[in-house]
Amino acid sequence: MSGIEGSPGSSMHGVTGREPVMAFSVASPMVATDTTAKFDLPVDSEHKAKVFKLFSFANPHMRTFHLSWISFFATFVSTFAAAPLVPIIRDNLDLTKADIGNAGVASVSGSIFSRLVMGAVCDLLGPRYGCAFLIMLSAPTIFCMSFVADASGYIAVRFMIGFSLATFVSCQYWMSTMFNSKIIGLVNGTAAGWGNMGGGATQLLMPVLFEIIKKAGATPFTAWRIAFFIPGWLNVIMGIFVLTLGQDLPDGNLGALQKKGDVAKDKFGKVLWYAVTNYRTWIFVLLYGYSMGVELTIDNVIAEYFYDRFDLKLHLAGIIAATFGMANLLARPFGGWTSDYMANRWGMRGRLWNLWLLQTAGGVCCLFLGLVNSLPLAITFMILFSIGAQAACGATFGIIPFISRRSLGIISGMTGAGGNFGSGLTQLIFFATASFSTAKGLSYMGIMIIICTLPVSFVHFPQWGSMFLPASQDIVKGSEETYYVAEWTEEEKQKGMHQASLRFAENSRSERGGKVASAPTPPNATPNYV
Amino acid sequence: MEVPTGFLVISLLLCFATTGYGVTFTSLQRTLVVTASPTEGQVLKAGDANITVTWGFNRTFPSGTDSDYRTVKVKLCYAPISQKDRSWRKTVDEMKKDKTCQHKIVARPYSASNNTFTSTILRDIPSGTYFVRAYAFNGNDEEVGFGQNTNGKLETNLFVIQAITGRHASLDIASICFSAFSVVALAGFFYMEKSKGKSSK
Repeated sequence: MSGIEGSPGSSMHGVTGREPVMAFSVASPMVATDTTAKFDLPVDSEHKAKVFKLFSFANPHMRTFHLSWISFFATFVSTFAAAPLVPIIRDNLDLTKADIGNAGVASVSGSIFSRLVMGAVCDLLGPRYGCAFLIMLSAPTIFCMSFVADASGYIAVRFMIGFSLATFVSCQYWMSTMFNSKIIGLVNGTAAGWGNMGGGATQLLMPVLFEIIKKAGATPFTAWRIAFFIPGWLNVIMGIFVLTLGQDLPDGNLGALQKKGDVAKDKFGKVLWYAVTNYRTWIFVLLYGYSMGVELTIDNVIAEYFYDRFDLKLHLAGIIAATFGMANLLARPFGGWTSDYMANRWGMRGRLWNLWLLQTAGGVCCLFLGLVNSLPLAITFMILFSIGAQAACGATFGIIPFISRRSLGIISGMTGAGGNFGSGLTQLIFFATASFSTAKGLSYMGIMIIICTLPVSFVHFPQWGSMFLPASQDIVKGSEETYYVAEWTEEEKQKGMHQASLRFAENSRSERGGKVASAPTPPNATPNYV
Repeated sequence: MEVPTGFLVISLLLCFATTGYGVTFTSLQRTLVVTASPTEGQVLKAGDANITVTWGFNRTFPSGTDSDYRTVKVKLCYAPISQKDRSWRKTVDEMKKDKTCQHKIVARPYSASNNTFTSTILRDIPSGTYFVRAYAFNGNDEEVGFGQNTNGKLETNLFVIQAITGRHASLDIASICFSAFSVVALAGFFYMEKSKGKSSK
């Protein structure tokens, strides 16, 4: 079921020279459509969709998209459900500022580990099982909030709930298996962004639930506990949907395909090795800590900040805090779209510049957010900051799929983990101590963002270049095939295990930007049909 | 994202322009005498114990000092130990920003003597060490005088309130049931798919 490969001379790469600006779809001349495949959407040689049809639920591509982002959304709702209710919880459990800060750190730390593990799980078992297991096993941890009686219990439960944020990895991985690389920036950005919106939605949802339950007669210290049941149910329902309606790959489920011999089973050690020895992985681990990481930090601290600093009512602070997370609806897909747009004109170099610009702008706005004393200005800078940081997240995952084909799962996982590590670190340094105010913490965090975004200038692809260096002119060294096939040993190549990487290399030629037409085929690359 | 400099300058100016003049605590005189029923160090259970407060004009002040007093609000206030590491309960001199006294016991029109009030401690009062303070307000709803059951250093007659946990047996049971459902449903699906996979080979 690998699809019929084009015979020599049939590739229509760059023939028309007229390429669509809006990367909602990939036109046929640019990426060959596999006409033998019977899907709702036009697909490429890997059976990945070339079109992103937002309001369709067609199996498997668009249905996967919706299952994926909604599950991820549910985990964000659960992980940050406590944040807008902290003013009530801190009175019920007699928490100090350090307790609240530590709980925030705990809520994002659990998933550092779980995101790493999830990357491997996706590579080996498939994203469907990974996602379903995680969200259905984290539902009990959410229900545990009804038992919490003191600071240590609170911190422990938030830590356990935080494990569920690893659905991010299954979400991104799942998108990468279903959608062509030309539109992956936009697709990943949209799926993740809409999932991240959960962090904003929860700031609206939980205070409203709390008020309703209070009106129904419960005292505040009981009402917030009851409110936690709703995120718990959301997790269970999404888990059931994912299991019954989802599939791992366009052609079926991973287990079934592995049995048929169509998808090679890979060794975890090898996959890990190629992820860890690629220096680009580590740069993106750091970078993501200062786009996603700071977004998670803000999700935890911003409602309380507005409540205390500007003396707002709980639900009003929640509404303002919600706009931060809800900006993800457009901001993150925007980042993915700008990444794809820049790639169209300037290739991978455009993607890298795009990322640096967005993330640095976010840092500047965070700096100002902590400095201003008036509510309207604070809200303005918060919104600008949210757009910068979230678009940077989208732009990051427009680049990640190109770092490695073999170890995509683990690299996604490591990057995601880096996001959480950055969040835990910034909360620990800037928001868990009484030595300086939350406002100062925000400003310092802004400065740290600007500094930690600079390393993106060191990311260099021989076939495409980097921010300041052009691509290698050497025909062999500067080819996509060389880069992606370098992850396989000769023995593995003999067994044909590298076929998927070759197909990917072919499809990724577009990252050269602009004039793609005359990409010479390197002399010793194995042709697809052998 | 460039913010136009003109906009930035004007907004920064507006920031600094909004400095308000409010009543400060240090400007108030202790013109009320306040007593509360709890003894020093007594532990009261929220939702259960009663508290009785009495307040009246301090006759050592010249009569006429209270001519503009219209209403009195009696509040539960955090003692310094309950404010430690909790900046949301901070004492600030400007009354509008002060967070020391967040829980109202009663509000009454002002009368110079024989004011008493008894009530149960509400169930949303957090655990902590407290004292009682009464503020007198004028017709413009500004503080014009106060009284408290402790001394100036907030050291004597402090009492402890123990909050409710907010937990209920019914909540605990519901929680366990839903958790069990989630785990069992997952395991069920997993085994069903595995056995279907095996049988279709």
